[in-house]
Amino acid sequence: MYWVASGFLFQRVDSIIQRLDPRVRLSLSLMLFILALISDSAIKITITMLTIISLALISNIAKRMARTTLFSATFAILIFLINLLLDYGLITSLVLALRFIAIITSTSFFFLTTSPDELECVMKWFRLPQDIIFAFVTAVRFVPVLMMDALQIMDAQRSRGLELDKGRFYKRIKNLIPILVPLVISAVIRSSELAEAMEVRAYGATKKPTSLYVLKMSNKDKFVMIMSIILFIPTIYLYLFAC
Amino acid sequence: MSDLISVKNYNFTYAGSNKPALIDINFNVKKGEIVVIAGPSGCGKSTLLRSLIGLIPHMYAGKSSGSVIVDGLDVSQTPISELAKRIGFVFQNPENQIFMFSVERDIAFGLENLQLPRDEIQNRVIWACELLGIIDLMKRAPYELSDGQKQRVALAGVIAMKPSILILDEPTSLLDPYTAQELINLVKKLHDELGITILIVEHRLDLLLNIASRIVIMNEGKIVLDGKLDEVLTKKEAMLIGVGIPTIVRLQNLLKEGGLDLGRISLTVVELANKLNVILRDNI
Repeated sequence: MYWVASGFLFQRVDSIIQRLDPRVRLSLSLMLFILALISDSAIKITITMLTIISLALISNIAKRMARTTLFSATFAILIFLINLLLDYGLITSLVLALRFIAIITSTSFFFLTTSPDELECVMKWFRLPQDIIFAFVTAVRFVPVLMMDALQIMDAQRSRGLELDKGRFYKRIKNLIPILVPLVISAVIRSSELAEAMEVRAYGATKKPTSLYVLKMSNKDKFVMIMSIILFIPTIYLYLFAC
Repeated sequence: MSDLISVKNYNFTYAGSNKPALIDINFNVKKGEIVVIAGPSGCGKSTLLRSLIGLIPHMYAGKSSGSVIVDGLDVSQTPISELAKRIGFVFQNPENQIFMFSVERDIAFGLENLQLPRDEIQNRVIWACELLGIIDLMKRAPYELSDGQKQRVALAGVIAMKPSILILDEPTSLLDPYTAQELINLVKKLHDELGITILIVEHRLDLLLNIASRIVIMNEGKIVLDGKLDEVLTKKEAMLIGVGIPTIVRLQNLLKEGGLDLGRISLTVVELANKLNVILRDNI
């Protein structure tokens, strides 16, 4: 379980990609996403997957990406089997399953390479309301904290004889109640403490707070952005009309 | 010296409760004082602190009477964000006071809300980090910090706003004794270097004997004792209320009961040892 909790923590990794402006990474991720969406043949999906894998390798996130893909792999297998059963043929079924993985990994590329801080800057750049940005920030910030709370509650209830891993499906679901109730209560208490701490640090004094971090496109960022667009447009054309 | 905090005939009852949380509180704090507030759990310490920063009545509903004036501002008429420029508040659990993903960003949080320009924010973050000895932690994420480090970060986030009053609500309760002592030493340093006025709720009075100038003991919503540490802690009432009387004070009380009066209570081990040495040498 601790291993799962640690998966939610952002790990700062350094590479050429991470040093780019997060908006460039967002646009790269979007381009990959569009390519994944329109990859409907074996050649196209191979090219798309290779591009995603090579970008993941360059940005040192290949291992973590593989870990997050494990969750989607079950769905991919399901997609493959259903299509196979429906007589779409081996290749088509494989392409569809891979396309699902490509869609997931292309979006996770952005989230795995972008720190929550940068994500917040990007949200600010999109001029989202402060309250929404802050709600997002605290949600992400407290995921690991709540995870640890949940694990502690589980240990506490287990030590009092609650058997979480035994019984039929219905029994197991019912066993979660003694975990969820204290967890929700502790989360509510935490949130009220959090609200107090926010108030005393002048949260809400202004609708437009200034920021310690400001996004700035360097020449390198602009170069990567333009190059990727130049590559992207003909690729889209080839994907749609040529093959 | 004028009073920085002035509470007059203040009563407060939480909405939905019949029992008043604070009863007829009269309490003044002068600039530069270090005041310890002690008392059993549920005696109204936290309610009093929350009344000073405006969380009561702005965030918690309830019935109040009397006045609370902080730095010349009537708390009930001033928004919390305005009070936050004058009062820094550090809570018990450091985890719930750090909102951002990096230390420097979290310290900047209050300053961003005050709309300070970016250069000023950067300077103040570095200043606060240097002051609290956490300059090497600036880029770290909250989950990479120990509890003691988190409490320092919380303190830095408040100090960066340059308040004239610092309020700490049981800041060491989640820390081990060594880290707790370190934090208290830091608080003392802030007091000495910045001339900041400090109010601190603390159960471990041992930690504060050397630094506090005054102690206020509360019980059942009232202020029962208020005065210098050596005077208050030797009184019978203090012991009866259940305040954790520091060992060094208890020792001297017991010696006095046994017939050995050492005069004014010593608050440091070194001072007491010197006194005892003199007496023992004279008798041998």
